[in-house]
Amino acid sequence: MDDLIALFTQQARAVSATVEPVADLAAAFDYAARLTTGQGGCLAAPGWGEGETESLAEACAGAGVELVTSGLRQEVGRFTVGLTRAQYGVAETGTLVLDSADEQVRLASMLSEAHVAVLPLAKVRQDMFALEEELAAILSASPGYMAFITGPSRTADIEMVLTLGAHGPRQLHVLLLEDAS
Amino acid sequence: MSRASRRQYHARLRSALDNRFLGQTLARFQNRYAQARQAAMQGVDFEALSREVVEVKDAALPRLEELYGQFKAAAQAAGAKVHLAADAEQARQIIADIAARAGVKSIVKSKSMTSEEIHLNAYLESQGLEVVETDLGEWIIQLRNEAPSHMVAPAIHLSCSEVAELFCGVTGQEQDPEDIASLVEVARQQLRRKMLSADMGISGANFAIAETGTLATVTNEGNARLVTTLPRVHVALLGLDKLVGDLDSALKILRILPRSAAGQLISSYVTWVTGAVECAAAPSGAKELHIVFLDNGRLALSQDPVFAEALRCVRCGSCANVCPIWGKVGGHTYGHVYIGAIGLVLTYFYHGVEAARELAKNCLNCQACKVNCPSGIDLPRLIKGVAGRLNQQEGAPLKNQLMRQVLTNRRLFHFLLRRAYLAQKPLAHGERLIRHLPSFFTGEHGFRSLPVVAASPLRDRWPSIAPPLAEPKLKVAFFGGCLNDFVYPEQGEALLELVRGKDIQLDFAAEQTCCGLPAAMASEEETAREVARQNIAALDAENHDHVLTLCASCASHLKHAYPRLLADDPAWRLRAEALAAKVIDCASFLQDVVGLAALPEGGPKAAYHAPCHLCRGLDVHRAPRHLLAEAGLEYLSYEDEEVCCGFGGSFSLDFPELSAAILARKLDQVEATGAEMLVTDCPGCVLQLEGGLDQRGSSIKVRHLAQALAEAQRRAKD
Repeated sequence: MDDLIALFTQQARAVSATVEPVADLAAAFDYAARLTTGQGGCLAAPGWGEGETESLAEACAGAGVELVTSGLRQEVGRFTVGLTRAQYGVAETGTLVLDSADEQVRLASMLSEAHVAVLPLAKVRQDMFALEEELAAILSASPGYMAFITGPSRTADIEMVLTLGAHGPRQLHVLLLEDAS
Repeated sequence: MSRASRRQYHARLRSALDNRFLGQTLARFQNRYAQARQAAMQGVDFEALSREVVEVKDAALPRLEELYGQFKAAAQAAGAKVHLAADAEQARQIIADIAARAGVKSIVKSKSMTSEEIHLNAYLESQGLEVVETDLGEWIIQLRNEAPSHMVAPAIHLSCSEVAELFCGVTGQEQDPEDIASLVEVARQQLRRKMLSADMGISGANFAIAETGTLATVTNEGNARLVTTLPRVHVALLGLDKLVGDLDSALKILRILPRSAAGQLISSYVTWVTGAVECAAAPSGAKELHIVFLDNGRLALSQDPVFAEALRCVRCGSCANVCPIWGKVGGHTYGHVYIGAIGLVLTYFYHGVEAARELAKNCLNCQACKVNCPSGIDLPRLIKGVAGRLNQQEGAPLKNQLMRQVLTNRRLFHFLLRRAYLAQKPLAHGERLIRHLPSFFTGEHGFRSLPVVAASPLRDRWPSIAPPLAEPKLKVAFFGGCLNDFVYPEQGEALLELVRGKDIQLDFAAEQTCCGLPAAMASEEETAREVARQNIAALDAENHDHVLTLCASCASHLKHAYPRLLADDPAWRLRAEALAAKVIDCASFLQDVVGLAALPEGGPKAAYHAPCHLCRGLDVHRAPRHLLAEAGLEYLSYEDEEVCCGFGGSFSLDFPELSAAILARKLDQVEATGAEMLVTDCPGCVLQLEGGLDQRGSSIKVRHLAQALAEAQRRAKD
């Protein structure tokens, strides 16, 4: 398990993601709220449960951050950080698997300047093939939209020089959640 | 007609070669790619992964129609509409109709080579629609009204300052010509606005999973996610060849695609869309999703016994990244819509004879693309196959007709070679090289001096220099090959010097002739088959332990091409395989069979050129370098050791401007090592390298490996 997490962390960092452990969801919410304070002050966090949204709202209030959870098309340009929960992690490539059938999740994770994804430690697997059944289950949802996300958006289209933040987030923060209860 | 198209094509090549910036950009791109790929393949068994891709694709291709039916049922159940377009015109019409019915005015696109294939943008614009590419490279070339010069990096032929100038026009503001990050920012802002307001998004797809009706796209920028999410209508356009059975198949391709394409373990975003997903911008609250499959010759191609494997291509673009020709001229002259080696094949099938005619000849057969291809496509062979079909359709060039008559008649061929010695004599002025070529050979051909045909060929000298042994421990059939036999007999003599006293009998069968590679290169398969049979009979592999040749090209051709050429000939197939199993190259023979004693250090500084057909054709890498070091030479390495020298047999006559440019890059690197000697183990490479160095006035001596080692032994004895 430790090896898997170490590999995931190494590979995600190698593609310019920030990876931080968090003890519980409260710590993850604090992290997202603090990050948003320094980045415009509006956080988009769709797709969380009712209780989770409440405690996130508290964290945001404490940090002086505005929280939006729906209707994100109307909020484009206002929210700068998107907070989502990833379903799985792939250690070999440092990849997040994000079920994005919910359009709001897509908007939060693509139109933000920084994407913060919470990934339960127990959901990290060695490679895509070790996740095949779980991925097939997500794909069998019809209609459906699944995303593999590895590092922030990037391009090397001009002179093959790597530049981050082409169309999607300029930053990707992966919060490795120890206690997923 | 064909002469005019040839002239035009050479003019375009010349102009690309004269563009210094282009050359620098492409060279930098190829270097960066090579390093990134090497890093991405660390700890990965490329061949095993590649075999899995081959299995997946070969399982899918024969049943594309069935997979299409399965995909359609699943995708329609998920709310998509699935269309099948027979050709480019139909595909354009289907998409324009969708736009018209949905009241679309503006379209954003993520990168799709298939849309380039059908020239979609121009058509939609002619219908009054605004079409904006959102992939940065595609947007740049769209603004310049150009075609992509690479399948993955479409604007790689442009410099940062050219892009800055272009963006200055778009924004009306000055742009820093050296600040790539701020140019990316311009695109981000401009294109974000377009994506938020567009009515329709058009994407391509990397895979279509039949089982679930899912489309997958692989991008780094993330524009495909936005293009498939923000507008109310989504049209996905893809070739039927993108169909695979299930998720497992897609994952197997995904494991190797980004590694091959960009030296990445995985791209930033892989997006899997199944059906009409939630979309707040659509009146119904669900996306209007249309999936347009394009046939345009693919179904017919998938049933072709020779060319079906071209459809295994996963569009990683790496055949261009490692191609010495693409690296000199770029995709606008080395491709039509599809570029690089796969482009040379697909152009014929998707865009026709006119577009393919000159392109199909422009291959060195250096095998770099083939060994790099994640889908295991034998690209050089398919390119020769296309050239062969063009010859059938349009009539073969004179050289092919001559080849048919001369090459299959050994006596005539060798008579002509002997006569060549007399014809050349007045030009050589008693020297080994002809420096000033006769007038029909001047101009583009003057980049190298040419060797003189020897006064007496190796075959005539053989009986006196290699007398039969009474009780040899090994019997080896020696295959000379034309250059070794008639131009460089001294290379064969050096070999005999190295095996003297080792109880090894080397037989030179007089009936042997040209290996047939030049015929295969000219797409003359029948001629190649005929000389293969003659050589198999002459060499009598069944009664020898090895079949040895000093020519890496001949060795690779005997070993790999003979069994394939004669696969359908029951009388010869087994003999071809028996011969192939015994073929050995010079370096492996000397190292593994003969065993040479180590010599003290202090030999000359030597650089090594790895012949294409040795390092890639026979997968021999270590032996020649090891032998040089063991013989006391000071081996000096340089970056492009395993890159082609630009010879390619008749390629260097058909495309002298390219041959010269590729040779120049190699010789620049060799000269920079400070070597006194350049060693290689293929007489064709010797001809090219020696001729080029001589024209440069360089003092670096070129030696065949056998000569370098024989000289080292002589030096040690003195």
